Amino acid sequence: MRRLLAATQQALAAPPRNPRMAVVVGRLLAIAFLLCFGTGLYSHFLQEPEPWMRFSTVPAQLYQVTQGIHITAGIACFPLILGKLYTIYPQLFQTPPVKSPLHLLERASIALFVGASLVQITIGLLNTYQWYPWKFGFREVHWALSFVVIGSLAIHIAVKLPMIARFWTRNSEGTRELRGETQGGETAPDAAAPVAESAPVGGVTGRIFRWIDGAPSPEPAVSRRGFMTAVGVSTATVVALTAGQSFAALSPFNIFAPRVKGTGPNALPVNRTAKAAQVLDTAVSPDWALTISNGPRTVTLTRAELLALPQTTVELPISCVEGWSQMATWKGVRLRELLNKVGADTSQGLKLTSLEKKGGYRVTQMGPEYAFDASTLVALEVNGDTLDIDHGYPARMIAPGRPGVLQTKWLSKLEVEA
Amino acid sequence: MKITRVILIALGLAGLFLGALIMVQKQRPDQIVGVIVWIVAAIIVHDGILSPLLLLLDVWMRRAGRRIPFGVLAIIQGGVVVGAIMSMLVLPEIYKKSLGTKNPTILPLDYGLNLALFWAGVAVLTAAACVVYLRRRRASASASSASIG
Repeated sequence: MRRLLAATQQALAAPPRNPRMAVVVGRLLAIAFLLCFGTGLYSHFLQEPEPWMRFSTVPAQLYQVTQGIHITAGIACFPLILGKLYTIYPQLFQTPPVKSPLHLLERASIALFVGASLVQITIGLLNTYQWYPWKFGFREVHWALSFVVIGSLAIHIAVKLPMIARFWTRNSEGTRELRGETQGGETAPDAAAPVAESAPVGGVTGRIFRWIDGAPSPEPAVSRRGFMTAVGVSTATVVALTAGQSFAALSPFNIFAPRVKGTGPNALPVNRTAKAAQVLDTAVSPDWALTISNGPRTVTLTRAELLALPQTTVELPISCVEGWSQMATWKGVRLRELLNKVGADTSQGLKLTSLEKKGGYRVTQMGPEYAFDASTLVALEVNGDTLDIDHGYPARMIAPGRPGVLQTKWLSKLEVEA
Repeated sequence: MKITRVILIALGLAGLFLGALIMVQKQRPDQIVGVIVWIVAAIIVHDGILSPLLLLLDVWMRRAGRRIPFGVLAIIQGGVVVGAIMSMLVLPEIYKKSLGTKNPTILPLDYGLNLALFWAGVAVLTAAACVVYLRRRRASASASSASIG
């Protein structure tokens, strides 16, 4: 068994499979993970704020940018994590497999780190096109795994810190030893060191190993440069060809993202349709009116009455948690003017209720920083047309810097919270 | 360094604990089992299937391309890697689109056609890179032989 592991490790040896490469790619991957984690925390607390939390309403594109980074960095993780795993793959076959209880713990933590990271980016990717071929809750598991991944990352960095330091720069001690510039003796513990194996492995496995050994060996410098180039080009490619769903500058190159700017009714993509929200009848009912209340004070306004009030036009993005976003021109009534009609105070938040029959976002909260912002509207028109029913006709909320799921469509009630 | 490591491990353990806590609070036991199955499957797919396949592909290319300069092989391998990683992200989209999406603005493109065009682009660029590489190699080879002569 031990011989087989050693032979496998030797067969897997390749110039880019060394600790320096693991450090270089690992750094990039860690940056991508931390970007995802930070922007993910922000998105989470926007949706589920603690009572004391207040958020910035400027710039209006804040959430568009943070969530665009979240999804784009998540996509960039695919080539980076595959590159990183490539550099360390021979470690899987290290001998002896377990040296001590601590070593077992370390290997188990790496298995958890690798598995959880792969699952995290995969379910995140599938969520961007609303595909859930599993029975667990996406939001809950993505949230829980983010702590598992970042926690495992911290432990991994702690365990490998001496190694990371030895290979941190081009001129670090370990890197120079790897290049053969110093006499380091037993160098590169990560790269499969030549195995002093006297007895060859027999049978079919032996034949496979001989087939592998019989191949011309790669040129180290070309191989290492080729590896870094492949990782770099892959990362740049997956980003360039998908990030156009989030960042307008890249939208001409968007040939693979699940969303495309400018598609859909009112030239805006749709997340949840009127049909899915079961509002096809209630949204077009002649009885519809928006109720605004503050304790006992209540105002009820029909769509015609809302249209008769002073109208404001704002440019605000609709920015989905799934990463796509789209700038649009909205026209409607300033929310704060409606709130003044019921005597609301600028310290008070709101409870928004939609016509939709069910769904996690049927009833949502809005903090006072958004409710009283000058650009927050009860929108009646978008891009010069009446709101499409899939975009929230007869009236929807649009506020700066909020996730799309909180830009409540098919508004029914606005209640000022005490 | 020691104190940094202690702090990182403490933070890491706190993260693991919090993750486990959220999982237990928000998911049913059968759902947690589902997550564990996915994690184990991810490791098996990567370590047990994709990585060995990559090794075999690499060895096969080196053996088949004995007479081809290694730089050219490396460029071709790079092209295959870029194409394969992009395909890995796009093939699930193609499949999901065939199953149907919740509304027409989700997965609106012809991803199959785009992927085919993308591979064609990769092939052209890879070939161009090989040509540039070989020209440079020849130029530097003749330059060095000229300087010797």
